[in-house]
Amino acid sequence: MNIIEKSINSYIILSLEGILNASSAPMLKSYVAGLPDTQSIVVDLENVEFIDSSGLGVLVGIARKKKTSNALVKLARLNERVKKVFEITQAYTLFDIYDDLSAAADA
Amino acid sequence: MNPIVTLTLQADLRYLRIAAITASNVAEIFADIACTEGNIAEFCHAYELSVSEAFTNSVRYAEPSQEKKQVTICFWSDNGTLVVNIIDNNPQFDPITDAPDINSYPEGGYGLFLIHRLMDKVSYSRIDDSNMLTMTKQPKTTHTAT
Repeated sequence: MNIIEKSINSYIILSLEGILNASSAPMLKSYVAGLPDTQSIVVDLENVEFIDSSGLGVLVGIARKKKTSNALVKLARLNERVKKVFEITQAYTLFDIYDDLSAAADA
Repeated sequence: MNPIVTLTLQADLRYLRIAAITASNVAEIFADIACTEGNIAEFCHAYELSVSEAFTNSVRYAEPSQEKKQVTICFWSDNGTLVVNIIDNNPQFDPITDAPDINSYPEGGYGLFLIHRLMDKVSYSRIDDSNMLTMTKQPKTTHTAT
């Protein structure tokens, strides 16, 4: 999995590319752990080809940590395969989800 | 039951995608043979994700002292249904799982829940010192595959 970072407004955008599974999810966890706790982020999931429960778990863990730091984690551009995992687990209720990056970083 | 593919992998997350991609590919070929109607991508994704979850659990719950740290994945055709067995030598486990309490922001506990929601039938058996998780999903077909 690749993580591409850029900034829009006060948000750091992390665009993920590839597979977010038990093998790659720790990489995302470590990457976010390297950012300041109070930094709000947008995770762009458009190019995630596959996500499993370990990938989901890392995103939920990031959301929990950011919540305790009064920062935000937003998700953007969920494709159908990613959406399905969020719907089954109802994890979509934990995140603000946007169709495009600029809307996510504006709100 | 007619065997399709049997795959034995070292219980290591480096081989996780081999398991998942094989499941997706076998499901795609099976769906084609079975003249599946409807969303073939969804059918394949269900197998890819379920096998990914089951393989991950097999790796995570392997004990350090375990002699045989491997996972065997068998695909079968049975009366127009694609059956997959995940076999490991881990300690016995309870395959029944409640929905995770999402409001408590759990980082784990989704795997078996997802499998139960994605597949039509999930069963578990303990044979000698092995666990066998069996999963099936009925494709929507115009006729029965052999």
